[in-house]
Amino acid sequence: MGYKVSFEEANQIFAELSSEYEIWAPKRFPGKGRYSDTDIIRYDKVKTVEEIVFDEKSDFPAKEVLSPITEPLFYFTEDEWRESKVTSKKIMIFMRPCDIAAQHRQERIYLGNGGFNDMYYERMHEKVKIVMMQCDLDDDTCFCVSMGTNKTDDYSLAVVCQDGALKVEVKDETFAPYFEGKTAEDYTPSFPTENKTKVKIPEIPNKEVLTKLKSHPMWEEYNKRCISCGSCTVACSTCTCFTTTDIAYNENGSVGERRRTSASCQIEGFTDMAGGHSFRNTAGDRMRYKVLHKFHDYKERFKDYHMCVGCGRCISRCPEFISITATVDKMNKAIAEIVAEENK
Amino acid sequence: MNHDIDVKKTRINCFRQSKVPGEFMLQLRVPGALIDAKHLSLVQELCQTYGNGTFHIGMRQTLNVPGIKYENIPAVNAKIKEYIQDVDVEMCDCDMEADDKGYPTIGARNVMACIGNSHCIKANANTHELAKKIEKLIFPSHYHIKVSVAGCPNDCAKGNFNDFGVMGIFKMVYDANRCIGCGACAKACLHHATGVLSLNDHGKIDKDTCCCVGCGECVIACPTGGWTRGNTHLYRVTLGGRTGKQYPRMGKLFLNWVTEDVVLGMFANWQKFSAWVMDYKPEYLHGGHLIDRAGYMKFKEMILDGVELNPEAKVADELYWTEAEQRANIHVKPISQHHKAGPQ
Amino acid sequence: MNNPVKPVPCKILEVKQESKHEYTFKVESDIKPSHGQFLQLSIPKVGEAPISVSAYGDGWMDFTIRSVGKVTDEIFKKEAGDTLFLRGAYGKGWPVEEQFKGKNMVLIVGGTGLAPVRSMLRLFAENPGYVESVTLIAGFKNEEGIVFRNELESWRDKFNCIYTLDRDKIDNWEVGFVTQFVSKVPFKDFGDNYEVVIVGPPPMMKFTAIEAMKCGVPEEKIWVSYERKMSCAIGKCGHCRIDETYVCLEGPVFNYTKAKYLVD
Repeated sequence: MGYKVSFEEANQIFAELSSEYEIWAPKRFPGKGRYSDTDIIRYDKVKTVEEIVFDEKSDFPAKEVLSPITEPLFYFTEDEWRESKVTSKKIMIFMRPCDIAAQHRQERIYLGNGGFNDMYYERMHEKVKIVMMQCDLDDDTCFCVSMGTNKTDDYSLAVVCQDGALKVEVKDETFAPYFEGKTAEDYTPSFPTENKTKVKIPEIPNKEVLTKLKSHPMWEEYNKRCISCGSCTVACSTCTCFTTTDIAYNENGSVGERRRTSASCQIEGFTDMAGGHSFRNTAGDRMRYKVLHKFHDYKERFKDYHMCVGCGRCISRCPEFISITATVDKMNKAIAEIVAEENK
Repeated sequence: MNHDIDVKKTRINCFRQSKVPGEFMLQLRVPGALIDAKHLSLVQELCQTYGNGTFHIGMRQTLNVPGIKYENIPAVNAKIKEYIQDVDVEMCDCDMEADDKGYPTIGARNVMACIGNSHCIKANANTHELAKKIEKLIFPSHYHIKVSVAGCPNDCAKGNFNDFGVMGIFKMVYDANRCIGCGACAKACLHHATGVLSLNDHGKIDKDTCCCVGCGECVIACPTGGWTRGNTHLYRVTLGGRTGKQYPRMGKLFLNWVTEDVVLGMFANWQKFSAWVMDYKPEYLHGGHLIDRAGYMKFKEMILDGVELNPEAKVADELYWTEAEQRANIHVKPISQHHKAGPQ
Repeated sequence: MNNPVKPVPCKILEVKQESKHEYTFKVESDIKPSHGQFLQLSIPKVGEAPISVSAYGDGWMDFTIRSVGKVTDEIFKKEAGDTLFLRGAYGKGWPVEEQFKGKNMVLIVGGTGLAPVRSMLRLFAENPGYVESVTLIAGFKNEEGIVFRNELESWRDKFNCIYTLDRDKIDNWEVGFVTQFVSKVPFKDFGDNYEVVIVGPPPMMKFTAIEAMKCGVPEEKIWVSYERKMSCAIGKCGHCRIDETYVCLEGPVFNYTKAKYLVD
C-alpha cells in the first residue's frame, strides 16, 4: 500500500511511533567534519523528517546503531555483576539498500559464526524495523551494482523524499494503522541500476594464487600511502571487529565494567599479543588483509557473496585518497599476472 | 636629474621611494591576501606600462609595481581607482571613496592572511573573511598597525611578528563513546602541537586542557569523529610582535579563546588608543611602539574598553616582553630621551 | 537470551610455581575440555585472556600461566580460595582419539608451548599402551624458563626425551635449538604409524616443520597449535582471523596441510 504524506503528517506519525520506537536516521552535524566548517552526516535519533539527510550519503554507517562504537557488556560492583541493558523500545532505522545488505553481512558474523550468537547484537537485531530510503544517489564512490547490493526487499517501509513530501510504501502491515486516513498514492521504490563506478570482482582460483597474491609487490605501495588510521574500517558498513576492555571506575577498583570498542585491523597493535608477538607489521600487509577480507576471505567462509557492499564510505573517509575500487583493479591485474605465470 | 618631490607625501600615497632618482614602487593592498584573479591583468598592465616591467610580491602580501616614474603617479592613481573601489570599498566595505588620487594613507598596513580554511585542511578560520572585517575597522587611517590573520596557531601568516596576530582556534569536544582508543590524536598532538593528550588504561583519552592550543590536530587525526570542533569559532591574539633594526620580538599571547566579536571590538578601539598615545598627532610610528609607550596596562584598559568578553575568554594579566635587542644596551638611555604617552 | 561471553566464577584450588615466570592454577570446574582447547580466563575490571588447559580431571582444570600482561599479572596475585572467572572451553583441540591413539607420537615443543600439550602428555604417561611410543623434544631459552620441570624429569622413564636449552649447559640437558634434534627422531622405525606435534612461538613452529619435512615427514602428519590475540574466542571480534579461518573456532590446533596456508 502506498501513501503520500507531507512533512507535517510524517512528523505526526513520528510522534505517534515514538512511544514504541526510537527512530534512527542519518543526520547532519554542522561543523563537525574532519576539516573546519565541514559537516558530518551520521546516524542519530531523530524526531522530525527535516532532520533526516536524504540527498547525501552518510559519512558513517548504520552499523553504529546496532553495534555502537563503545558498548558495555557487563557492570561489576565488588563481587556482583550483571549484563548491560539496552533501550526498552524497538528501533526503526532509515537505511539505503547497501546499508541493509551490510547488516545481512554483519549478521553472519555476529549471529551464527562458529555456532555462537552474539547476545548483544542479537537483542538489538530483534528490535529493528527497517525503513528503506530509496537511493537516487550516484556518487562516484558508489559501486553497489557491482556488488549486487543495489536491491533489497528486506524492509518494513520504503520511502522517497520528493517535492517536500514523503512517498511511503507500507510493506509491513504492523505500520498500516499509522497511515490510516493519509492520502493514498501508488509508490513502489526504485533501485539503482547502474553506477558511474564499476568494479570487476576478482576471482582467486586457488590457495596457491592467494598465497602469491599476499606477497605480491602491489601491497608495498600502501606502506608509503596508507597512514594506518583506520578511517576506512570505521566508515565501513560491514566491518565488525572489536576489542574487549575491562575498566575500574574508582581508585580501589571495586566498581567497573567490561566493554567492547570497535577495533581496526588497519591500526598498529590489532594483533599484539601479551608477550610481544604481533603480525602484519606494515601498512601494506594490513591493507592486504582488509581488502582480501572484503573481496575474498569472507565469501570463502560464508559463501554466496562478498563482504563489501560497495557503499564507498571507505573511499570518502580516507584522508590519503586511497580508493578501494582502484585497489581492487590493481589486485585484478596482480591476479592475472600470477595466473599467467602459473600457466607458463 | 633635477627633482623636487615630497617623498613623505608619495609614501603616504603608497608609492615607495626607489634608489633610482625619480622612481617609485606602488603597493596595492590585498586585504586577506585573496582577490579576484581578474585584477592580475591590471597589475600586469601597470608593470608593463608604467613600471620597469617587473613585478614584486610584497612582503606584506601587497602587489608591488616597481620603477614608476614620479610624473606617472597621477596616471597610475587614475588607473587603480577601479581596483581600490573593488577591493577596499566594495569587498571590505571600508568607509572611503575611490577617486583619482590613489590610496589616502599608508598608515594601517595591509592585513595579511594565510589561505585559511577556504582551502587549508589545518585551518580553523576563514582568514580572508576576518581580514576583510579588520580592514574595514583600521583602514583608511594614518595610525600605523600591522595585523596578520592565521587559520590556526601554526601561524604560517607570521602573526607572531605583527603588532596583532590573530589565529583561528576551537575548543575541541571529545566524545568518549566514539573513541576507539587508537591513540592517533595523542600522536598527532605530540608531533604537531603541545602533546596534551594521552591514552589512558581505559583505552580512552586524557587531556591536559590547560596547555591545549586549540589547533584541531586531534580532530584531523581522529578516524571516528570522536574529536570535533566546538560550535563557536574562537581566536587567539598575539600582541606586539615585530621585526626591526632595534627591538625585534615575537608577539606574546594577549587574548585566548575569544570570539570574533571580541577580536573586532578590540580592533575598533585601535584608532582611539593610538590617538591617545600620540596625543592626536599621527606620526610615522610602528603600532608596537605605541603599546610600549602606553604600557601594557593602559593598552589593555583602552583596547578592551566596551568589549564584552565571551565566557571562555582569557586575557593576559601582565605581559613580560622578551626582546632581542639588535645592539646591546640600545634601550638604556637618559630619562630625557624616553618616550612619553598621553598628553604631551 | 543465552550470552556466550558470560563468564562463570570458579574457585582456585591450588597455585603452584612452575618456573620464575610461570605458575599453574588449579581451578574447580565441571567444564570438560578436550586436550589442546583453551578457555577465556578473566578478572572483572582487569580483563580477559585466552589460556590453554594444561591438565584436567574430574571437577578441576589446570592453567599454566606466564606473566606477560595486565591480566596475567593480576591472576598471579590470586591465591587458593580466590576466584577466577572462566568461559569456554573453546576451539578444536588435538585429535587424540581420532588420529593419535596407537601411534608413535613425536612432540616437539618450545617454551610455554608445553602447556597446550601437557594434558595430552599426562594422558599418554598415565595410560601405557594408549599410544605406541612418545618422543618428546622440549626446548627452553634458559634454566629459568623451564616449565613443568618435575614432570619433564618424571617423563624421562616413560618417553624418549630430548630436553635442551638454547645456550646454557645443565646436567642431562642438551644445548641447542629444538630444530637441531629433529633429525634424531627415528622416523624410519615408525613406518607410517606416527604423528608429529609442534607447538611454540611462530618462527619455531615454522622452522621445526621444515626440519621434519626434510626428514621425510609428510605435511598431513604434522600438527601445530596457534596462538593469536583474541577478545571474544567465539568468532566475533575478528582479531584471530587469518583468511577465512578463525583460530578461535577452527584452531588453535591445525593440521599442517591447512596451517601452511595460514599466512597472517
